[in-house]
Amino acid sequence: MSDEGVVDPRRRRLLIITTGLGVVGAAFAATPFVKSMMPSARAKAAGAPVEVDISRIEPGQLLTVEWRGQPVWILRRTPEMLNSLKEDVSLLVDPDSHVDSQQPKYAQNPTRSIKPEVLVLVGICTHLGCSPERRLEAGSESGLGSDWPGGFFCPCHGSKFDLAGRVFKNVPAPINLRVPPHRYVVDTRILIGVDQKGAA
Amino acid sequence: MNTKAGAWRRLLGWVDDRYPLSETWEAHLSKYYAPKNFNFWYYFGSLALVVLVLQILTGIFLTMHYKPDTGLAFASVEYIMRDVDWGWLIRYLHSTGASLFFVVVYLHMFRAFLYGSHRNPRELLWIIGVVIFIALMAEAFMGYLLPWGNMSYWGAQVIISLFDAIPVVGPGLAEWIRGDFVVADATLNRFFALHVVAVPLVLIMLVFIHIVALHKVGSNNPDGIEIKKKKDARGIPLDGIPFHPYYTVKDIVGTTVFLIVFTVIAFFIPELWGWFLEHDNFIPANILQTPQEIKPLWYFTPFYSILRATTSDMVAWGLTPLVIVMAALIIFSVKRARTRLVTSAIAALLLIGFYFIEAKVWGVVLMGLALGAFFLVPWLDRSPVKSIRYRGWMYKTALTFFTIAFIVLGYLGTKPPSGLYSLLAKIGLVIYFLFFLLMPWYTTFDKTKPVPERVTWK
Amino acid sequence: MRTLLLLVLMGLPLGGHAAEGHNECGQLAKCDPVKIDLRDQPSLQRGARTFVNYCLPCHGASYMRYNRMGQDLGIPEDLLKEDMIFTGDKVGDLMKTAMRKEDAKEWLKTAPPDLTLVTRWRSPEWVYTYLRNFYRDDKSASGWNNLVFPNVAMPHVLYEWQGELRPAQPTAQAQDGKPVEKTAPTSERLEVAKPGAKTAAEFDRDMRDLTNFLVYLGEPAKLDRYRIGVYVLIFLAVFLVFAYLLKKEYWKDVH
Repeated sequence: MSDEGVVDPRRRRLLIITTGLGVVGAAFAATPFVKSMMPSARAKAAGAPVEVDISRIEPGQLLTVEWRGQPVWILRRTPEMLNSLKEDVSLLVDPDSHVDSQQPKYAQNPTRSIKPEVLVLVGICTHLGCSPERRLEAGSESGLGSDWPGGFFCPCHGSKFDLAGRVFKNVPAPINLRVPPHRYVVDTRILIGVDQKGAA
Repeated sequence: MNTKAGAWRRLLGWVDDRYPLSETWEAHLSKYYAPKNFNFWYYFGSLALVVLVLQILTGIFLTMHYKPDTGLAFASVEYIMRDVDWGWLIRYLHSTGASLFFVVVYLHMFRAFLYGSHRNPRELLWIIGVVIFIALMAEAFMGYLLPWGNMSYWGAQVIISLFDAIPVVGPGLAEWIRGDFVVADATLNRFFALHVVAVPLVLIMLVFIHIVALHKVGSNNPDGIEIKKKKDARGIPLDGIPFHPYYTVKDIVGTTVFLIVFTVIAFFIPELWGWFLEHDNFIPANILQTPQEIKPLWYFTPFYSILRATTSDMVAWGLTPLVIVMAALIIFSVKRARTRLVTSAIAALLLIGFYFIEAKVWGVVLMGLALGAFFLVPWLDRSPVKSIRYRGWMYKTALTFFTIAFIVLGYLGTKPPSGLYSLLAKIGLVIYFLFFLLMPWYTTFDKTKPVPERVTWK
Repeated sequence: MRTLLLLVLMGLPLGGHAAEGHNECGQLAKCDPVKIDLRDQPSLQRGARTFVNYCLPCHGASYMRYNRMGQDLGIPEDLLKEDMIFTGDKVGDLMKTAMRKEDAKEWLKTAPPDLTLVTRWRSPEWVYTYLRNFYRDDKSASGWNNLVFPNVAMPHVLYEWQGELRPAQPTAQAQDGKPVEKTAPTSERLEVAKPGAKTAAEFDRDMRDLTNFLVYLGEPAKLDRYRIGVYVLIFLAVFLVFAYLLKKEYWKDVH
């Protein structure tokens, strides 16, 4: 409300200080309420890192485990599969995985993995959160045409990803499938949810 | 600067053409004239509003984590206290707020007794206020069941059993309220619905019309005189000042002091030695183990005391003479034949009732009357003046006795009813009701002082 | 007049409410005082160790998580896993007891209560006194009884530490072979019949540590709220000064 006439300078100063303090106080008071909506200790405990024994995954096989309520795929790729990653580059949106949020630094490489043959992916489509189907076999038996190099196909809106989880051109999904933070505890066991160097 | 102000004015004008924004602001804040002599007691109205908002806010966030299920409820409260970030603070703010709500409301109501704020023309305002008070009690009672602690459980069990006492429909009614034969999952689930949705909606609407009614008649003041009787040439009360900014800045000071008290309790002594959070509520509800003493939280205890004090001895030796004396008093002082006849009939019915109906029923009736009596105060009070400042010794004495009786009854309600305590509660009960019953007489005979023309500063 | 009414209102009988009932210690006249200090981490750690070794096998602390305890008490996670978690639980899990409820009912006739909130339900003093007042009672099923909680189903788990206690002067009632009643004289005293591995002072210290830990367990956020409460009060005090100055400034207009 605009008061008529001139406002006394002392009054004006006090008004500004009190209002300012009030706004600061309100911001502090709002913080606990906002933070109470973050994942609770229970959610964090349930989302704790998951340790997986990968020694029994045969080449070409895929194991699904649950981490933070999401499916995580662990695929041991055959040499042919790894070969296909070099050949399909022209079909992809982001073959070199430039988007940083879609994988940790140590998986930002041509195979998108720590060890070339072992791929770890969050099995959630980056379009709208469906879980893509596995179409690991290359060629027409996949039902995706004879030039299909093998990969994943999302039935919801038709997004396609290759065997490194990289997204194809002209599909709704904008970026590659996410590689979760993970590390090798020993050669045959990986811990999903923790980065190589430490905290998740 | 000028163009900015111009743009603001244009926007405001655009809104005002479509919604009475400036009009509402002026009618209720910047041109709502309140008496300039408000004192300490006039903080509690705005404080009640502050607590209401706080309770709704903290309640919403608690609802995000709480589970209304007998198997999960207790653990979900501890989950809030431990696993949810800042959950402990939100929960303590809510539990402290519940008790302080009653502190504020009791002081707010006491103000009316001091300055006659319930008198003409504010009877309806007062009645709405008493309804708010009763709705608040329902809200608090149902909220207290939700943590599903042992005292929650047994407190609800005992209070709902009161309905059993109602003749004929009682047992069926109690079962209907519980949705089971004892307090059970169904009870918890419906109390949750009522506590978080139904009663808050009712409360918000009632508070709204309470304020509308207040702004229609205007605020009373410590002198109990109408400032609208003396207006200047522009029609503005001579003793009135705009609520905004004068009372907004003043209430901010009052609210800050209140928040300091609030903080001290919520952060440092949230249990308040068992007064705000009871020790027996730190174990889950146990159907096989009654706490040593079942007691409601402090804000219910005056009424709980009245309930317990109504024993068969009390009916025979306390209430019977009380009814006879009151009937005689009315017949003696009212000359109209019809009034005398009705009074005699009611008294006779009551006396027959005392003889044939068990004391338990009368306890429930008296507890209801203890609340219901507040509705009648505007008409029981016959004094020519409103404010205690100009009343005589009789009203002052009566109010002092009533206040002491109320507090003593409240204290005794937390204690086992034995020996001296039981006797004191019975005396307290009689004083409590005499305050209302005798009000028409002592306010009539009381010597009053002349009331000033204009409000005074004290 | 006004002052009188004010006095009446302010004089709300606050104190003393908690004491009765809450602080009664069974056959003892009153509970022993215990020094609670939530900032004393070594004490809390010792208490936690006693708790997981001797209490957790039967009682749960099922609203509390191991890793929260580790963080608050300064116990690193690997130590937590190695030394304090015996049930194969993960560090983020709730501290549930290993004993099944049905087994407990069969062995002890009653399920041992969860201890997360025991100090808030009883009181720290009650717990401290209870822990130190077990005595030999051949008539009870477990062979033990307790002055604070007569006829308690729980045996004296820590008797190897404390040794065996018996009533000091067998009262007339006890000699008659009648069980000691709840209403028996409240001046009961115990004396050592068989010394344990620890001296009385050592045992008292251990029980103080355990009680201290149980108080922590009852409300892990307690220190947080003290700390934050101070800041909130400081802020409100500053705000009050300016709010008051502003009010005074505006009220200059009112005569």
